[in-house]
Amino acid sequence: MSSLTSGSSRKRIYGCYTVIGFISSGTYGRVYKAQGKNGQVGQFAIKKFKPDKEGEIGYTGISQSAIREMALCTELTHPNVVHTVEIILEDKCIYIVFEYAEHDLLQIVHHHTQSNRHAIPARTIKSIMYQLLQGLLYLHRNWVMHRDLKPANIMVTSNGEVKIGDLGLARLFSKPLNTLFTGDKVVVTIWYRAPELLLGSRHYTPAVDLWAVGCIFAELLSLRPIFKGEEAKMDNKKSVPFQRNQMQKIVEIIGLPQKENWPLLTSMPEYSQLSSLSSGIHRVSTPQGLEKWYWQTLQQFKYPSSPPSMTPGSDGLSLLRGLLDYDPTKRLTAEQALKHQYFLSDGEKPAEDCFEGSGMEYPLRRVSQEDNDIRSSSLPGTKRSGLPDDSFGRPAKRLKEG
Amino acid sequence: MAANYWESSQRKFWTFSKRDLTDLRRAQEVENSQLYSQYPLPDRRLTNIYFQMQLTKLAKRMSTRQQAVATAQVYIRRFYTRREIRTTNPYLVLSTAFYLACKMEECPQHIRIVVGEARQFWPDAVSSEVSKLGECEFHLISEMNSQLIIHHPYRTLTELQTLFSLTSEEISLAWSIINDHYLTDLPLLYPPHIIAITAVFLAVVLKPTTQTTKAQSHNLQAALQVAINTPSGTSGGALTGQNKVQKLLNWIAEGSVAIEALVDCTQELISLYEVWESYNEKVCKEQVMRFVKGRGLDK
Repeated sequence: MSSLTSGSSRKRIYGCYTVIGFISSGTYGRVYKAQGKNGQVGQFAIKKFKPDKEGEIGYTGISQSAIREMALCTELTHPNVVHTVEIILEDKCIYIVFEYAEHDLLQIVHHHTQSNRHAIPARTIKSIMYQLLQGLLYLHRNWVMHRDLKPANIMVTSNGEVKIGDLGLARLFSKPLNTLFTGDKVVVTIWYRAPELLLGSRHYTPAVDLWAVGCIFAELLSLRPIFKGEEAKMDNKKSVPFQRNQMQKIVEIIGLPQKENWPLLTSMPEYSQLSSLSSGIHRVSTPQGLEKWYWQTLQQFKYPSSPPSMTPGSDGLSLLRGLLDYDPTKRLTAEQALKHQYFLSDGEKPAEDCFEGSGMEYPLRRVSQEDNDIRSSSLPGTKRSGLPDDSFGRPAKRLKEG
Repeated sequence: MAANYWESSQRKFWTFSKRDLTDLRRAQEVENSQLYSQYPLPDRRLTNIYFQMQLTKLAKRMSTRQQAVATAQVYIRRFYTRREIRTTNPYLVLSTAFYLACKMEECPQHIRIVVGEARQFWPDAVSSEVSKLGECEFHLISEMNSQLIIHHPYRTLTELQTLFSLTSEEISLAWSIINDHYLTDLPLLYPPHIIAITAVFLAVVLKPTTQTTKAQSHNLQAALQVAINTPSGTSGGALTGQNKVQKLLNWIAEGSVAIEALVDCTQELISLYEVWESYNEKVCKEQVMRFVKGRGLDK
């Protein structure tokens, strides 16, 4: 359809942006930092999707996940969701231009672990949680499940605004023609994966995002993932393995799920696996308990016993419990969580700038100069080599869509 | 967004006034005046019927849901507000719209399968090269500014079903009226709930008197006239005995739904059914193929 190729009037990526450096890469492609030009003011993060097949010369059709992300990005507008400036299709490549965010939660947690394991100020955490939940409420009200919430995907601007990013796995749950289980089999980085997913649920709900928010809350408090399991790899049969180690990590802290508290537990496909978990492992049969974990963490990081502006306190525990409820139907929704006493105990609304009064300075996002040619078609691997992420020992856990 | 039509790109960028649409098309015609005189085409609704039938063939072969077909039709409609049809290969465009809509509506098809099936139906018009369809997908998405989420009237229909205890016959009639509205400009002119209400109204009014289209259209206009003239609460005397119609009319009169919009949608649909009587597949096919072949757009 050569006569359709009159795309010359359309925007060109190099016409509007100067690439400053490379930020990160994943299974989807690469993200670059860019400076606007020719009337485009400010800094931007440009996500370039890699072609489906490496070195493919012609057009091969855009992947379904890229299509989803493009469609959602153009549709969503909320102060706590990363803003999409524009999407440019050019020379067989797709570029999504996002507003730039200087920080993300992974980087912030990392900074605190490096500086003598100093706690993140209680006010900062409260503001982060409040903003995160507001963004999530917006997504859920619009029938969008994020499905991959984790610290690395939660952006924070230099003004302390929290923004949910990376809708690469997000999906509409309004009217799934196929069950959401088909298509992409593995969703959500394993450490933040909700128990109903670990137990093989096929009809999962927005509650999976709230579990992840609970894990993120715990991580902001303890500066390490609360349930740091080892991922069981997909075997050759392409069946999804039971994530035994991950489930075990959860059970070690909050105990085994009970059918009295989670009526549908026994109908979970992997329910039978639970009994084998408890045999012989001491920490499984005598879990620490979330309460104990919580108070020990607060003590370790020297949060004072009061006032509410200085410590998450018992309200924080109550919120964490509500988010880490095994039963997805009882787990707090984003709306309920936002009304939780934790956000009210201070007497005032959580700060709009999460850095307000924290006295912390966070390092700027590291940008590598090794690959500045956003248009080069060769994509040297997908590892985050030589980038800050690697030093965390936290490679991208997301599996390729099945 | 998906749940919220009012905030959607569909409402903000893809719902036109009749005037806008006329202007857009006039501009297209002026710009391509020579093509227009060289390659005349039947009434837009007739070519739409033709393309819809082609699309349905494709969808049937791959047992795709109606929702994806509807989305593909809206994509095509949008695309041709930006591009002159005589500068495109409509068979490629409709295959591509179908391929894209399937991904968007969560029933993806492999590009090779779509190209293969399209080749079965239109071997003269669709290239076996997968990259042609892939390239067309870029153009389709670009012209739509990546705004791919479509709100359809089907969901409102389901809500109205409960509200008015519609029978399965009424629902299926309303459903097919909704299917038909994609053949007109209505998806570019009105919000999906207006279309759904119109369809339900037509289904409820039409059902008892399954006569000819003309006779029905009289009934409809009369019924709507009553609705316009009847302030909220009071009933339209002309329709006593038809409880459901009554209830529906009252509901419409009380609600915030613009009666004028319903009248207009009804008229568009009735006029579609009138035009349909002159549909001739062979003529449509020939005229489309003339410009596709004549301008080498199949290459």
